[in-house]
Amino acid sequence: MAEKSKQTKKILMVGNPNVGKSALFNRLTGGEAIVSNYPGTTVDFTRGEFAVGGIFYEVTDVPGTYSLEPRDGAEEVAVSILHKEKDAIVLIVLDATRVERGLYLALEVVERGYSAIIALNMIDEAHDKEISVSASELQRLLGVPVVATSAISGEGIKDLARMTAKACKTDIARINAALEEKPDESVSTGGCGGCMGCGGCGGC
Amino acid sequence: MAGNFISEDERWDLVDRVSGCIVTYGIYRQSLRDVIGELTVVPLTGVPVAMAVLYAFWSIFGSFAGALMTDGFMVKLFDNYWLPWLQSVWPDPDGWLYFLFVGDPTADNCFEAFGMLTSGLFVSLGVVLWAVLIFYLMMTLLEDSGYLPRLAVLVDTLLHKIGLHGYAIVPAILGLGCNVPAVTATRILETRKQRFMMMTLLAIFIPCGAQLGVMLEVIPDSVGWVMLYLIAGFAIFGIVLDKIIPGKNPEILIDVPAYHIPDWNNVGKKLWMRTRGFLKEAVPFVMLGVLLVNLLYLGGVIQAISNFFEPLFVYWFGVPKETAGPLVAAFLRKDLAIAQLSAIPMTAYQMITSVVLISIYFPCVATFVVMLKEGWKQLLASVAVLICVVLVYGGLIHAIGILLGVA
Amino acid sequence: MDIKKSSSNEKIGGLSIYVMVLGAVAVAFGCADILVWAGFSSGLNLGIIEIAGDDFFRWAWGGLVVLMGGLIMLSGAVDAGEIRQFAKVTLGALMLLMIAGTDIFARLCENIPAGEEAPEFFNSLGGFIGGFAPPYSPAILLLPFVLVIVYLAVKYDGEN
Repeated sequence: MAEKSKQTKKILMVGNPNVGKSALFNRLTGGEAIVSNYPGTTVDFTRGEFAVGGIFYEVTDVPGTYSLEPRDGAEEVAVSILHKEKDAIVLIVLDATRVERGLYLALEVVERGYSAIIALNMIDEAHDKEISVSASELQRLLGVPVVATSAISGEGIKDLARMTAKACKTDIARINAALEEKPDESVSTGGCGGCMGCGGCGGC
Repeated sequence: MAGNFISEDERWDLVDRVSGCIVTYGIYRQSLRDVIGELTVVPLTGVPVAMAVLYAFWSIFGSFAGALMTDGFMVKLFDNYWLPWLQSVWPDPDGWLYFLFVGDPTADNCFEAFGMLTSGLFVSLGVVLWAVLIFYLMMTLLEDSGYLPRLAVLVDTLLHKIGLHGYAIVPAILGLGCNVPAVTATRILETRKQRFMMMTLLAIFIPCGAQLGVMLEVIPDSVGWVMLYLIAGFAIFGIVLDKIIPGKNPEILIDVPAYHIPDWNNVGKKLWMRTRGFLKEAVPFVMLGVLLVNLLYLGGVIQAISNFFEPLFVYWFGVPKETAGPLVAAFLRKDLAIAQLSAIPMTAYQMITSVVLISIYFPCVATFVVMLKEGWKQLLASVAVLICVVLVYGGLIHAIGILLGVA
Repeated sequence: MDIKKSSSNEKIGGLSIYVMVLGAVAVAFGCADILVWAGFSSGLNLGIIEIAGDDFFRWAWGGLVVLMGGLIMLSGAVDAGEIRQFAKVTLGALMLLMIAGTDIFARLCENIPAGEEAPEFFNSLGGFIGGFAPPYSPAILLLPFVLVIVYLAVKYDGEN
């Protein structure tokens, strides 16, 4: 059992509706999730896998949700999947053109003690709209790895796959502390600077 | 555990502080796409655009599936080559095997022959395949361009009158392709009441692409009437269901995404997946449907059902009793049932009525199965509603026919 | 940005007049479609224009779309270089484009196969090309002028 869990890890892809979870899922796993341009395309979960660095990941594309207090049938599906997989890594997908609502969900996820990693998706569209979002600063503040991606062009997908191994837990107190700190101090460390506190996570 | 959680306000406060640190906005410039996006949700300009989109949708559907593929090539292929060849090589025209597989030995077209290898193949591959192919292509374009949620905003006020949210238009449009994914898509609605209402109305009143394809072929001049009856029925029974089902009908905000030019890889992929699904799941069902109906004819079951229900059909609905046969087939595939209707001699009024009856009568078996997955209690309730609707609406249409003097 | 705005200001005159004429013609054509369908004429045939008016879907519904497309264009004609106005012009043009496009698509679909009575499957090349000969529906005649607007819109969208 312990052997097996070392080889295969579960990833749940969680995020607001229409932020590109299914497109990202297809990019990661070569899967066949239906991708459309309207919120609520995915109403059931789809599974797929990918492997990186000798570890197999089983990825679940969870229906989009605005919060973990379900409001409709598709959101109930999402929340119940999260409940069943307490040990899974949660890949939170944010829409870079409107991060606020996604961050709300992200906070709900980390409060529940999941190991998390964030994909800052639609980064190219944000760029077109002249909105710039700092992935490294978000990583420092939240203390979990953040990768800027574009599911449409494929930008950042490989980084995301590699960084998945570094997914880790964080909590509100940490985030509050990071907000008090001066930004300059830890940005320079680059890479996974924000993750130093979660050494225990690397091996699990 | 719950002690670790912060309140909603605290969480939003934290979100504001974090996003304030990481996001910087450039100068906002409204793009042409944004403005056009706004114009398509405002009723004054949005309604004409919706009419244009519907026009284009139906026109392309008719040109491609009707004129080009079915009338242009398939009818010729099946009626001039396949049917005569099969009739000439299959032995023993009076035998039951001939009846099952080839059908009527005197038939000169594949609609009327009604054998598994004649009508079964013609309906599935000659007619319906092309209808669903073009339908799925256009639906995919609507989905991927971002027009669907705008349509939802546009019809929101209208649908609220029948107790549904504007977003209910999404399963309705998906249902025009196939009711199966549409039933699952009702999950995007908020309350159980809305989900139940939409699932029931959808299963009863929304004809699927396969059905539309056959209708276009069999009754090209009356499709408009059938659609009118179905839309009117949707509205009438929507209002009734809204009144009698307890529950809330809350307002939610619809997230309208920006317009995108569809990614052709994604469009191609979805089209292929959906068409493959049709070939794998629907085609065998059509063939089996013909086989089953023919076996029931041979066993005298359909004649017995026709005789039993004769008073209902003839006096209440005003259609010939032979309509019972297609109604049995309708449980397997509605497209098949409508093809079968075309072989029964009847007046234009009777044809329209029977097509409407086939559409609103029991959902096809595939839809039935997904409805069961959403909960057996809802399914039973849906079926109860459905029986009432068929009886009431069938009678009502007959009454309208009598008043107009056509029944 | 200011420079750009003033340069587009100069174009206003020409573009506005173009849009007004195109919109007015579309409105007239749309009305004609509907009137012929309603029975005011048993099919109109003026040289290269033909309004058969024989079925509700194409002439009443389609005609209404042409009419409304023209009206929406007209509503954006004044100060047509301004983005909000130009969006209306583009939207009206897209509606006309949909009718013209589906008309051409219908001809294409009808002319690829040989006629129902003919023994062969495909139309002859001559027959296929002959199928595209005039007369045309009003929407098809407007197409070249509509495409100018669509071109401007695509260019505009690309620049921003």
